[in-house]
Amino acid sequence: MLTAVKNQGRVSFLSIKYALMQEMLNRVTFFTNILFMILNNASFIIQWIVLYSIQNNVGGYTFKQILLLWGIAAGTYGFSHFFFENAYDLSQIINEGKLDAYLVQPKNVLLSSITSKVKTSALGDIFYGYIMCFFAGLGVVDILLFTILSIIGGITLTAIAVLLGSLSFWFQKADMIAESGNGFMTNFATYPDGIFKGIVKVLLFTLIPVGIVNYLPISILTEHKVEFFFLIFLFMIAIVFFAFFLFYRGLKRYSSSNLMSMRI
Amino acid sequence: MSVIEVKNLQKTFRVKKKESGLKGSLKSIIKPTYRQIEAVKGIDFTVSKGEMIAFIGPNGAGKSTTIKMLTGILYPDSGDISILGLDPKKERKKLAYEIGTVFGQKEQLWTHLTPYDNFKFFGAIYDIPEEVVERKIQELKEVFELEEFLNTPVRNLSLGQRIRCEIVASLIHEPKILFLDEPTIGLDPVVKENIRSLIKRMNKEYKTTIFLTSHDVGDIEKLCKRVIIINHGELVLDDTMENLKYHYLNKKMVEAKMKEKVNLEEEEGITILKDKGYNLKIEVDTTLKSVADALKLLNPDNIVDINISNIPLENIITEIYKKEEEK
Repeated sequence: MLTAVKNQGRVSFLSIKYALMQEMLNRVTFFTNILFMILNNASFIIQWIVLYSIQNNVGGYTFKQILLLWGIAAGTYGFSHFFFENAYDLSQIINEGKLDAYLVQPKNVLLSSITSKVKTSALGDIFYGYIMCFFAGLGVVDILLFTILSIIGGITLTAIAVLLGSLSFWFQKADMIAESGNGFMTNFATYPDGIFKGIVKVLLFTLIPVGIVNYLPISILTEHKVEFFFLIFLFMIAIVFFAFFLFYRGLKRYSSSNLMSMRI
Repeated sequence: MSVIEVKNLQKTFRVKKKESGLKGSLKSIIKPTYRQIEAVKGIDFTVSKGEMIAFIGPNGAGKSTTIKMLTGILYPDSGDISILGLDPKKERKKLAYEIGTVFGQKEQLWTHLTPYDNFKFFGAIYDIPEEVVERKIQELKEVFELEEFLNTPVRNLSLGQRIRCEIVASLIHEPKILFLDEPTIGLDPVVKENIRSLIKRMNKEYKTTIFLTSHDVGDIEKLCKRVIIINHGELVLDDTMENLKYHYLNKKMVEAKMKEKVNLEEEEGITILKDKGYNLKIEVDTTLKSVADALKLLNPDNIVDINISNIPLENIITEIYKKEEEK
């Protein structure tokens, strides 16, 4: 069992390494992708600087908390998209019958498929997360905590993408649902939760768990609430199990295809 | 000893029915209707160890669906499959260690990596220790003559070189059965011949069982001793290549250059394929008339040159496909 996990880890690592090597084929594109993502994220913070020059508190968040919110949003997004980019293309992979190549290999189909593509610009998001930590004035221990929270959040985001992508085993055109669902997770991630009330707030901690991926980590980072840490960790474990369950349930319905294709 | 056993294998796909145009699309959104397509309708066959078998049929016959069920890609609706004693449905990972697959239409290699790096990656996928992979690469490099391009990125290789690498990648873990789905698609005749001789060599040297699907009659004729034909999801023929060629249709082709014109139009058992005066091409049905009798009709003294041959395999297969269509 342990050897199998070790071997799977080795293959996933090699897969990510080779996918990164592919992205690095063009040096200029590689670096500009990362740089532009940092600049793109930075442009959004300007509106918050303007807002906080007028008032000190927006939705219960201080400016430091906003910086951390952006940091966590970028960190979780970056971690998920860099290591598991194909989780976001899962609908397409299923619809176009591209799971065949992974199904004939003696490895975990889901892990093999989601780790075979990286998104370079997501590295820019990860860097941006740390830049925000720096401006928020986090110490070394908190930066380490930020890293752990980004990884937990990133895995949770990936599991959500897998859940949404797996719907394609049942519904044609489920890619649109997946796109919207993943969009929700990103769009709500950079606003303080205090501005949301009632049903929207309930949704943000249940059906669209932005609250668990992004808002609770802010409380953990600023108020060191250990109970929240366990909560998000347990949520991650539960949703990962659910994602694997749904994917493998759907895999029985997989219909492949005869489209001509190549691994690029 | 059977390495593949298939019993009453079935697979049905559900496809949405849609009328043409925008109205049809609206209708299918409000009240979708589906139709069932029976891709494989309860087929049975077995394959013995070391056999080279051609699994053929026209487009949409159920070949790919069957091969995908045998390799664990698709779940069958019903029926039993046993590959080397393993059930692909329940033991997909275990089975993957024992079989190799090459899909001519789907590339499995990373195009930006060299074949060497790809083979190393495949070695890791099959949990093979580094030094064993290295030794295997060196061995396969010799057999498949990869020396020249072993360190060239796959994207820069010709199609023939790529297919050779695809086959090598599928052999790294020394599979007992190799499933080849149209391995020579899109290749020129020289490269095709090269790939065929390599597959033959592999079967001879490693005793690998070969399960081949192809539309290329050359692949089938030159590689396989047994042929299974599938059409409309049903097996229509399972016989040796020899029987297929010499007994299934019992026909010979006679091409003759004559001194004088001969009229064979009314003759039983003879079909005139081409009649250009002194050049004649006829098909003799040997169940109705022997070749000797056909030659007597032509009159040996009247013949300048003659060629008697079997019906090309391609014609035989086409004939079988057509017969099935007519049923």
